[in-house]
Amino acid sequence: MAPKLEVEGLTTRFFTEEGQINAVEDVSFSVEEGEVFGIVGESGSGKSVTALSLIDLVERPGEIVDGAVWFRSPDLAARIEDDTPEAVDGDYVDLQSLSEGERRALRGTEFSTIFQDPMSSFNPSLTVGEQIAEAVEVQRRARANPRSVRSRTQGYGLAKFIGDSLLPTRDFVDDASHDRAVELLEMVGIPDPVERAAEYPHQFSGGMLQRAMIAQALAGEPSVLVADEPTTALDVTIQAQVLDLLAELQEDTGMTTVLITHNLGVIARMADRVGVMYAGEVVERGTLEDVFDEPAHPYTQGLLGSSPDLDGAADRLDPIPGNVPSLVDREMDDRCYFADRCPKAMGECLEKPPEFAVDGEHTAMCYLADHDYEEADALEEGYFDE
Amino acid sequence: MGLAKFLIKRLLQGVVVTWGVVTVVFFLRYLTPGDPTATLLPPDAGPEVRQRLRENLGLDQPLYVQYYDYITDLVVLDFGESMSSGREVAGLVASRLPATIELAVAATFVAVVLAIPLGVISARRRREPVDYGATLFSLIGISTPNFWLGVMLIIFVGVHVDVIPTTGRQMGLRTALFALSNGSASELGQWAAQLVLPAITLGTYFTALITRLTRSGMLEELGQSYVTACRAKGLPETLTLYKHVLRNTLIPIVTVLGLQLGTLIGGAVITETVFAWPGLGRFLITSINNRDWTSIQGTIIVIGVGFVLINIVVDSLYAYLDPRVTAE
Repeated sequence: MAPKLEVEGLTTRFFTEEGQINAVEDVSFSVEEGEVFGIVGESGSGKSVTALSLIDLVERPGEIVDGAVWFRSPDLAARIEDDTPEAVDGDYVDLQSLSEGERRALRGTEFSTIFQDPMSSFNPSLTVGEQIAEAVEVQRRARANPRSVRSRTQGYGLAKFIGDSLLPTRDFVDDASHDRAVELLEMVGIPDPVERAAEYPHQFSGGMLQRAMIAQALAGEPSVLVADEPTTALDVTIQAQVLDLLAELQEDTGMTTVLITHNLGVIARMADRVGVMYAGEVVERGTLEDVFDEPAHPYTQGLLGSSPDLDGAADRLDPIPGNVPSLVDREMDDRCYFADRCPKAMGECLEKPPEFAVDGEHTAMCYLADHDYEEADALEEGYFDE
Repeated sequence: MGLAKFLIKRLLQGVVVTWGVVTVVFFLRYLTPGDPTATLLPPDAGPEVRQRLRENLGLDQPLYVQYYDYITDLVVLDFGESMSSGREVAGLVASRLPATIELAVAATFVAVVLAIPLGVISARRRREPVDYGATLFSLIGISTPNFWLGVMLIIFVGVHVDVIPTTGRQMGLRTALFALSNGSASELGQWAAQLVLPAITLGTYFTALITRLTRSGMLEELGQSYVTACRAKGLPETLTLYKHVLRNTLIPIVTVLGLQLGTLIGGAVITETVFAWPGLGRFLITSINNRDWTSIQGTIIVIGVGFVLINIVVDSLYAYLDPRVTAE
């Protein structure tokens, strides 16, 4: 089966006043059509920025500086081949090489994103129904006029804004889109969808609002869903409901899903294949079974050891000592970034390890995946202390 | 809580505030030094003449009787007679009010029409030449004293250009509109021409202020996650910018607009003086110089009520812009 997404050497940096921050460094992975690909890592490991980089939602001062995101879409590839041949390779289109207009046209229609905090991801001063209807409207206009990217962006400017403010009946959004928004709310299990659609985000509970955001993401019937920590801001009991909903929808629609989370339980439950991120890099990837049952990278081993047993047997937890490294460019050495926290750090770890194949598609960025640990070569304790 | 209930609450609060203003103004008079009879009578007037005048003005009555009379008169909009000219204060204030309102509204109009688009462009093209230009303009605008700007405009326009009047107010909007209904549009042109320089003078600071406010507000809103969410669902950039971001930015802008408009109603004393504009500000200064207490009182009350009304309008705009306001 051909992958739906092929990420190659994706690199995203933030250029801040404190210096350059290497949030995502040379990340590669592929996502098969219809599967759930999980990206797991601690806070600050670059997993959310990876999610945002896929369809370039990175806000300034962040910038995608390198890499390609190959998206399989034969129609689009055929359509733009003449204009932008460098963005096309067979059935694949490189999302990073597309024009911003083409890329925007894919957002919401082919690529939907669910964000971590539903409360801040909705505009507080518009009704939830209105905001979902906007997403429907974008999709409707795209379907009505698939060739013209511009038709959807034109016709709304300052003059129209003033007109709309003075005449509340005039609107970007059609009545049919409002009706569809209500249907979507019903689909994600929100009771009294008609009334709820007329309410504002602050009148919703967190779980309900996250459902509404899922409804909004589904408005465009996307082929790829990027879920960035979809349950992190929710209560534990609500988390399970939202995950059930996501799993159900994913099964029904066959959406290719990229699921970002720090929660190994969520990954174990949802994902088919997994990438483990550390300090902006994917340090290990493979199928769920490979990575969870036979982790090759000491970081993955530590991560699994530091979370409650998924089968329920609550052994003592074994936290990984130390902190996530700084991602500020000038503070990073060219070595394995995990070496300072790694119980099995060796001399060669001071040089950056390449990606080794562990077993078939299972890869790890660690020398231990290539050869065994040699105690004689171990770095002395406190080597990285100042 | 519904919008109607919210408005009724605000109106009732407005009545209380107005009563407070009226009362403070009344008692202020007894705290300020200077006997009104001293300015009303020649210095050589005898004590019995002075006493008669006091009786005429009701100044010999106990304070609570004076206060009662004062309030009951105010309820029927009787502000008394001017102590210097003897004419009805209500009429005097009413004749100045249109000039002040025209000027204040014109200055606000200039500010809104220029500043909001400028602020939006500036925020959108951050750290580009347009943004630097707008920032420089607002810095200069905020730092320019308007008496100086007014005089410079008079010198420049009056001497070198000389196409629009630089001083005075030949006619009010009502006269101009009346002429227009009779088929003569030139009066409306004259009316607008005489307003140009005072409005620029008064509006420059205002424009600069709102530009800054719009720019910083937009930048703050643009950093919110819902903006990324709007982009994620493929919304056109302009729609995100105006329907979502600008709308939310308007909340602080409306506050400042209201406060500033209130201040302008209170009389742009300097601008009115520079341009010999017959508004409330100049009237107030003249009244103070004449120790004309009834006129001072009347003017301050009208200004106070204007402030209260503007704030009620601002509050209802809030409720429209931010649904969380009425939901408290």
